Parts: sequence; C-alpha cells; structure tokens
Amino acid sequence: MMAEFIKNSVCEGVTFSYMAETRFKNSRQGVTLIVPISRETAAANALLSCVLTRSCKKYPDFYSLNRKLNSMYGAALFPSVRRIGDYQALTIAVSGLDDRYTLDNEKISAQLAELLSMIMFEPNIVDGHFNDEDIEQERRQLIESIDAEFSEKRTYAIRRCVNIMCADERYSIGRYGSRDDVKAVTHKQLTDAWEKLLKEAQVELTLVGSADPEYALKGFSEYFGNSPRKPKRVAPQDVHPTQVRHITETEELSQSKLVMGFRCAYSDDDVMTIESSILSSILGGMPTSKLFTNVREKQSLCYYCTSSIDGNKGIMLIDSGVETDNLEKTEKAILEQVDMLKRGNISDSELEDAKLAVKNSFKSLMDSPSAMQADYLGSIMKKNPLSPLEAAQVADSVTKERIIELSQKIELDTVFSLVGN
Amino acid sequence: MDIQKIESKRLGECYYRLAHPSGLKVLIYPRENFNSVSAVIGTNFGSVYSRFVFNGKEVKVPDGTAHYLEHKLFESEDGDAFSKYAKTGASANAFTSFDKTCYLFSCTDKFKESLEILLDLVQTPYFTEETIAKEQGIISQEIKMYDDSPDWRVMMNLSQGMYHNNPINIDIAGSVETIAEITPEILYECYNSYYNFHNMVLAVVGKITVDEVVGILDEKLRHDEPVETKILLPEEPYEVVKNYVEQIMPVSVTQFELGFKEAGKEERVTLKQGLCTNIMLEAFAGDCSPLYRELLDEKLINYSFGSEYSSGLGYRGVIFSGESSDPKAVCEKIRKAIVKLHETGISSEDFEVAKKLMYGKLISVYDSNFGLAVSLINSEFRNEDLMSVPELFMSLTVDDVNERLKEQLDPDNYCLSVVRGDSE
Repeated sequence: MMAEFIKNSVCEGVTFSYMAETRFKNSRQGVTLIVPISRETAAANALLSCVLTRSCKKYPDFYSLNRKLNSMYGAALFPSVRRIGDYQALTIAVSGLDDRYTLDNEKISAQLAELLSMIMFEPNIVDGHFNDEDIEQERRQLIESIDAEFSEKRTYAIRRCVNIMCADERYSIGRYGSRDDVKAVTHKQLTDAWEKLLKEAQVELTLVGSADPEYALKGFSEYFGNSPRKPKRVAPQDVHPTQVRHITETEELSQSKLVMGFRCAYSDDDVMTIESSILSSILGGMPTSKLFTNVREKQSLCYYCTSSIDGNKGIMLIDSGVETDNLEKTEKAILEQVDMLKRGNISDSELEDAKLAVKNSFKSLMDSPSAMQADYLGSIMKKNPLSPLEAAQVADSVTKERIIELSQKIELDTVFSLVGN
Repeated sequence: MDIQKIESKRLGECYYRLAHPSGLKVLIYPRENFNSVSAVIGTNFGSVYSRFVFNGKEVKVPDGTAHYLEHKLFESEDGDAFSKYAKTGASANAFTSFDKTCYLFSCTDKFKESLEILLDLVQTPYFTEETIAKEQGIISQEIKMYDDSPDWRVMMNLSQGMYHNNPINIDIAGSVETIAEITPEILYECYNSYYNFHNMVLAVVGKITVDEVVGILDEKLRHDEPVETKILLPEEPYEVVKNYVEQIMPVSVTQFELGFKEAGKEERVTLKQGLCTNIMLEAFAGDCSPLYRELLDEKLINYSFGSEYSSGLGYRGVIFSGESSDPKAVCEKIRKAIVKLHETGISSEDFEVAKKLMYGKLISVYDSNFGLAVSLINSEFRNEDLMSVPELFMSLTVDDVNERLKEQLDPDNYCLSVVRGDSE
C-alpha cells in the first residue's frame, strides 16, 4: 500500500493534502498554521490554540463541546503546538470513527469537518474578547504543562542543553513560549493572534481517511480561498562554536544526566535530512549503533545512550543517564565514538544496517495515520519535502563518503550535566 | 493442525488461531493492505511471579528476575539478537510487565528472517556468570532512571500503599540489591518453566499469510512436553495498607494517584466485568461528568486527569490520577461523589453517552498492528477472543453496569499517593 498525500493548492500559502485511506477505523483531519517562532508571539499563539479548542459560538463552553464530541463516539479535538526548526506550528486536529463503522450510519466525518471549521472561524468571541473563564482555565493548564517539563529529567536536561547552546537564537524559544509570557498574555494579544494567524500564517490542511475530501475542504476553501498570503520565511542562523561550553547543575536525583549538543550541517534540501538520519543511526540511533555497543554493552556505563539530529536546524544531541562518578568517563567514551565517525571508521555493515533501519521506519510509518501526518509536517519547511517512500529510496543511495563528509562538519558546542547524588 | 477462523462481521476483521504441535498457541492476523508486520511472542511470566510451583517443586526467585531474564535472553552463544535484527532492518524490542514478558519486532522486509530471529531468541537461552555480571551495571542504571521518574514513583508508591502482600507492590526491575542475587541457575529454572511453549503465545499481524507463518514455525520450533506451573500468591487482606503515602522529588507540579481497592480474587476479571467498569468510570469521571466539571471549575485538576481499572492476579482496584495543587481536596471530592454514586447509580442517559464513546475507543485498537498484536496476546492469556468484544459490548445494559458497581469503589478503602516538590 503506497500511502501518500495528494497535494492541492487552495491559494497561495494554503495547501490541502489528502490521503484516501480505507485501512483505518478512524479518520483524521487537521489544520496547521505555521509562523516563524518569536518571543513576542509564541505564548499568545500557544494559548490561543488551547482556547480555540475549548469552545466555539455554537458550543459556548467546555462541557457542551465535549458532550457533542462524546456523542460522536468520543471523537477527539485537540491542539498541538510544535516547533519545526525556527518555526512554530499550531495544529488543531479532529480524529473520529470512520463513517463505515458508526452504529446507525451517521456521517461523523462531515460533522467533524464542520466542527473543525467552526472552531477555527467562529470562536466564542464576544465584544472582541475570548471568554474569561476559558482563558484562565487554559492559561493555568498551559503553565502547569510548562512546569511539568521539569519533572521528567531526561527531557528537562535536553531542553536545558538546547537553551544554553542556542541562547541567542530563535531555537531556544520553547514551543509554548516562556512561563512568564504565558502568564502575561492579554485579551487583546489573544484576539490579535487569532486574526493575524488566519491572515498571514502558512496553512496546511490535511485529511487522512475515507471521508469525502470535497466536503472536508468546503468550509476551509470558502474561508481561505480569497485570502492568499505570502508566508514569512526566516533565514537559518549558521553558528559555529568558538569553544566548548561545560555547564553543570545539581539536583536531588539517583542518576545524573549527560547531554552533549553538537552543531552539524544544515540544508533546506530534504535529502540531507535522510543522510543525517543515517549518520545518526550509525552513531547512536539503534541497538547496534556505536554508542549502544561501546558505551552501554562493552563498558556497562548506562542503560541508554542515544543520538538524534534535528534536520530542521542542524543540531545533534547525544544523551545518557549515568552514575555521577562516571560522567567524565562517559563523555570521553562518547567523544571517542564521534571521532571514529569523523575519521571515517564506518564498516560496510554499519552503513547497511543503518540504511535498513531508516528504510524500515519510513515504510512502517505509512501504516499509521498520525505518524503520516507528523512526518508530513516534519518536512514541510523543506524546499523539496520527500514522501516516506521517496525518503526510503533516498536512504538506499546514501554513500559512506557522504556520511564521512557530513560527520566532519560536526562540532561539539555545549556539554550539560544535571548532577545527582 | 486445526486452524480456527475467528471473525467479527461488524468490523469486517478476522484472524486465525491454532495450537501448534510445539505447544505454542499462535494467532495470525493477515492484513494484506499494510506495509509492515508486527510479531509479538509472550509468556505469562512477569514480575509478580516471585513464587511458583514447577513440576511439583516450589521455586522462589529474587525481585526483578523476570525482567533480568528478558534482558539476558537477547544474548546467545552466537551473538546478540539485536545485531541479527540489524541485518533485516526490523525494529525490535521487549518488555516485562507485572504478569507477562513479551519480545517483539516490526518489519517491512525480510519477514521470514526476522521471525526466525525471534523464534531463535526464545529457544536459545545462554546464561553464564560472566554475561549476567555484565548486565548488572546496565540494569542498575535502568532502575535508577525509574527512581527519578515521578510517574513511576507515584504508581509504585500507590501499589505499596494498597497491597500488603501481593507482589504487585514490588518494582518490576527489582532493586540494585536483589538483582545482585540472580544466578544462571535461577534464570534457567524460570526459563524451563515459563518459556515452555505451553505457557507462550505468538501473535503476528500485518502483511503475511497463514501458510507463510505456519511454514516458518514448523521448521523452527522444538516440541515441548507440557509442564505443570502455578503461581503462588500470598493472602491479601481486603483493607489497604494506608490511606496516604507521599514522596518528595524535584518536581514543580504535584502528581497524584488515588486507588480504591476491591476484594482480590485468584481468577482474573472477566471481559464483561472489565467493560462494565470502564463504562462506569467514563460516566462517573469522564470529561462530561459532573465530577470532572466540579474538579476542573475549582482548578483542582487539569486535562491530565484520568481513571483506569487496574486488575490482575489477586489484585483489583480503580485508580484516578493526575496533577493537582491540592490532591487531598481532589481525594475528598471523589470520595463524596462515590458515596452519592452508590445511592443513585449511573443514569440511563449517561450510560448511553459513555457507551457510545467507549465503542469508538474499543475499535481504535485496530489502527495499529503492534497494538493489535499485544491485544491478541492479552486476550489469549485471559482465554478470551478479541472478536467477541464488540458484540458483548453492544449487549451491555445500564443494569449490568450498576450491578457491577456494587462490588467496586468502596469510599473508605482507598489510598492516596502523592509526589510533590519540597517547596511546601
């Protein structure tokens, strides 16, 4: 089954992508608004996406809206805010039972499309203001979500490393903005954010399922059809570390966390995203990678030691959880493996294994509507976004020379340690 | 070999069940339109199996043994399974829960080779003093990682606050001290009892055919004689151990789990009982319930709030969980609402809404090959058939749910587990 999105341009800056699917019990529709992330607007945009999904004109409070959703077999309406490189992407999605499985032949998909368009275009705004109760409830919960990021220490340590490393770049702005900014968002900022996003953001409409695309598109094409826009682009910042920063913080923990942030090559060509995934798989993306075999299996230093590259930014992170006494030893062991890569010490089987793993993950994601949607958005800012199948083909043709060439551009920037007892 | 076809006309889905001569029960679910295959092999041996009978002899093992065994099974004399999977491109993993251990992979190519690796993995135990010692450092770090996880701690502390003797109160991975007691002999004994095929189930879901899978099994599997195995569970009193348990951790949001313990029984909860409880919980504490509304309006919970039914060998209870600035207030409000619930029961209207919602959730499991494979294994261990779920579900009435409610949610038999920062 070659699941692929078929793209249609609604007007400049607005795209509708549709995947006809009868394999799944649920269908999924979403609207994603993409803008360059900025300190001034990140918090208001994030809060807006939460407030929008809490009520609308027709269902003016959380409970009437939820009752409606529950009566549609527990359809889910949810906001998600993510960062794609230097951009903030706000998605509002609905997912619900495909029409073929309803008990009394109800057409859920049409109702969901209608609901999604009401959520976007007919929010619960009275006298130019969103509802106070909605704002305060969502503001409180968004702040609690930001606070909760501190609880999971692995994620927290990664976040800290990135913040230190990219302090002067857009990349350090959290997807929700800062806690203080969320606290300070005013009524006016929220209404302004809504108006501005609808007018200026890059718009990506997606539909996966057996629903009629004509119908799903109707509300949106009517609205956006006459509203072309030139989405703003930001130039990626090319940063090279002059010296390696070592930052240490302490906490009451059983295990210390080590995060190493590296700069690596960036390009808006999606082919390089695939090449970088293969590089990262060889180094630390799978259980036969250099890091897993040497740092974990040979030296028994840790349970996990993995690498990942954000192809939308050109940053590689390696992280591990270790005994405090072993922090230095682990750092050294990791750097040895990075050096091996740079020196071209890559066996044919390491390259082949990595290719197989990357191909497998691209081909597998075609079996999941949510993974398809996430992958689609992940490469949306590239000049030539590759479908999963194209990505798998590209993976096959990557050469060792190319991996070595990319490895040599890797530079260590920041080492962050969260030291426990 | 008798191959049984099991189908749901309502969903247009079907799978095949067979008892392989090796002793292994096999569930094959062909889905020709999918790109990938997920295969899971499981044994009904998990962390709560700390005492059991094997062919008439009583065996007692250190805490964390099932999980240790899971790690070590990946190694054999001719190398580790991960490097073999690397040659097929399959993504492989394993997990140990309270009552089972599963080994799995998913692949898009080279299915035959990948399944052979999985079958070899569970048939070639290789435990030596040396390989066991190597794993101590790795698993110790895994244990410490969980020690720092508030989600995990709040859950384990709740089990310890609810259960006096049932081994669900012991951490799945054990502790740094208990895993040091594990020897090759202990691992072989567990292997010989619970990795006998009569105690195992294989589920394969995705782009495969029945013949293809059976052909590989015929070629690869040894034939096992049945063994006698039985878990030994200690007596568990009805009452909880304590009503409140708290741990201070470096967190800035307070997390809680609130459990209501029920009379534990040797036998597992039936499918019908489980479904009734889930409908009841949706009506009572779902996001349209008056309780949820009250807690949210008073800013006592956020969207992370939820409820679940946690049951297994000798333990049963309803658990509410979430983040809150005042978990004790949440606890009191839920207990009061429970008293009222027992007076009024669930109304017909709330029942209908909850039932429709649950139906949507139930059939969502079909959207993931891996999720489906795990569900098949779970139902097989419970002697149930996955395809009967939708029909049974449709036949449930509000009276069934209210009848079931009578034996649940004793407002006085509760434990509240809290993990908070030390700023208070």
